Amino acid sequence: MNILGWIFMTLSMLSVLSLVVYCVSKVLFYAPKD
Amino acid sequence: MSNVKEQWGSRIGVIMAVAGSAVGLGNFLRFPGKAAENGGGAFMIPYFVALLLVGIPLCWAEWAMGRYGGRQGFNSAPGIFSVLWKHPLAKYLGALALLIPMAVYFFYIVVEAWCLGYAWNYLTGSLMLGKNPSAYVDFFTKFTGSAKDGALFSGTIQPALIFVAITFLVNYLVVYRGLSGGIEKFCNIAIPMMAICAMCVLVRVLTLPANPNAPDQTVVAGLGYMWNPNFSALLESKTWLAAAGQIFFTLSVGFGVIINYASYVKPKKDIALSGLTATSVNSFFEVCLGGTITIPAAFLFLGATTLATFTGNAFGLGFKALPNVFAEMPGGQIFGFLWFFMLFLAAITSSLSMLQPVMAFFEEGLGLTRRGSSMLMFVITLMGTGFVMYYSGEGTGMDAIDFWAGELFIVVLALVQAIIYGWVFGIKLGQDELDSGAELRVPRFVQFVIKFVSPAFLIWILIATLTSRITEEVPGKGNLRILDRLNNQTQLAGFLIVMGSLVFLWIMVFFAGQRWKREGRA
Repeated sequence: MNILGWIFMTLSMLSVLSLVVYCVSKVLFYAPKD
Repeated sequence: MSNVKEQWGSRIGVIMAVAGSAVGLGNFLRFPGKAAENGGGAFMIPYFVALLLVGIPLCWAEWAMGRYGGRQGFNSAPGIFSVLWKHPLAKYLGALALLIPMAVYFFYIVVEAWCLGYAWNYLTGSLMLGKNPSAYVDFFTKFTGSAKDGALFSGTIQPALIFVAITFLVNYLVVYRGLSGGIEKFCNIAIPMMAICAMCVLVRVLTLPANPNAPDQTVVAGLGYMWNPNFSALLESKTWLAAAGQIFFTLSVGFGVIINYASYVKPKKDIALSGLTATSVNSFFEVCLGGTITIPAAFLFLGATTLATFTGNAFGLGFKALPNVFAEMPGGQIFGFLWFFMLFLAAITSSLSMLQPVMAFFEEGLGLTRRGSSMLMFVITLMGTGFVMYYSGEGTGMDAIDFWAGELFIVVLALVQAIIYGWVFGIKLGQDELDSGAELRVPRFVQFVIKFVSPAFLIWILIATLTSRITEEVPGKGNLRILDRLNNQTQLAGFLIVMGSLVFLWIMVFFAGQRWKREGRA
């Protein structure tokens, strides 16, 4: 895999992971309980 | 009047159910193939553009319209559309949101049964056929009956029929138990289980040594095959179309599911954060897991040349190529089972979501009980699936229904929803609905995107899809593909089934409209 491949894979995964961690943690820990 | 109004049991439950609906076979089989053949890592640029311009905004629009309709006492798209747009035609447009999940269920359940069948055959060892690629092609051909039409109904009872019967039964047992008691509970277990199976397979794939027969075929090289960017692909419209199509396919946008599921959210409860969370969970399964398992594993054992023949064919990649990989992989039998069981879980959480919108309509539009709506839906889907299973030769029956319902009408429905939300319901009301109870502030520009950008984008997709389907060359069949479809007996029958289902739903919608009028609801 070339350097651009690593960059695209890492950036794509980091974008998705940061979004999912942000959303799930907000739902689990910050949102008012049902 | 309709039965006692159902509601989700918990916040996590609705997120799991919507994510379960979105996470399906496409995340693990379709996405990696599309990315690899459309620019690799560069594919992620149009992918994220489509996600931001169409995917997330339209998901939010569907959540907002769904909960608004639910507050007015409607859970089905025809009812919801009729309160969003006070016009006699509105409820008939809503019938599209019933047709798509129903018609897609006709064939999706068959593929779901293949996954269960393959998982079972790995568990029993029947699919460990050694290093013999043709053995796996033969197994697939025999198991799915793709050699000729009627193959599954000749001679003794074929295993595929048994697995279809089991998946049918499981689906209807779950939906019969209702929204929170059935679908929600099932998804709460299935999604984490799916994640665990996927992580096991991922760890196995990433720790595989290089292929001893071809030392340059390593996992890292496989990741390179998937992720190395080819920027010239960005200049081709087909790359952008593939990315937009993938976003549609993966998020269940324009599918009629989110609008129905959102209608069961309690008033004043958040939908903005829930919608984004469900979308992000789906993207996690797709990009982080789908993007690292399928292609690298297949590359390691098959090499670039063989793999290239499978990337445009999700079923070929999943059911013909990957069994070769498990045959050579240490512990292949157990990982083969985990892989196909995970695909089965991904599929069943999606197929459950296809039943609920139509059953909700039968209940609130025709006054049926849960038992009645289940029975009616069972009979309809049995006929549709029977067609797909009988016309199994080269998967033509499946392809016919998928083309009209899963490829064309899905874009039409998304466009209808974007127009109703942006131009009829209004972005002011839409924003208010999203803001009500919101635990996440939806930026104002999203409303502008839904009103102007999404419809323009969708019109472009619709025109590009139609154009490519008219001019696309099909080997041995000339180049007028849509017309070819109607000249082929099975393709024509598939088209008539889809259109016949639409006419049937329109008639039901007419009677529902009369009923709602009598009740003073519409």
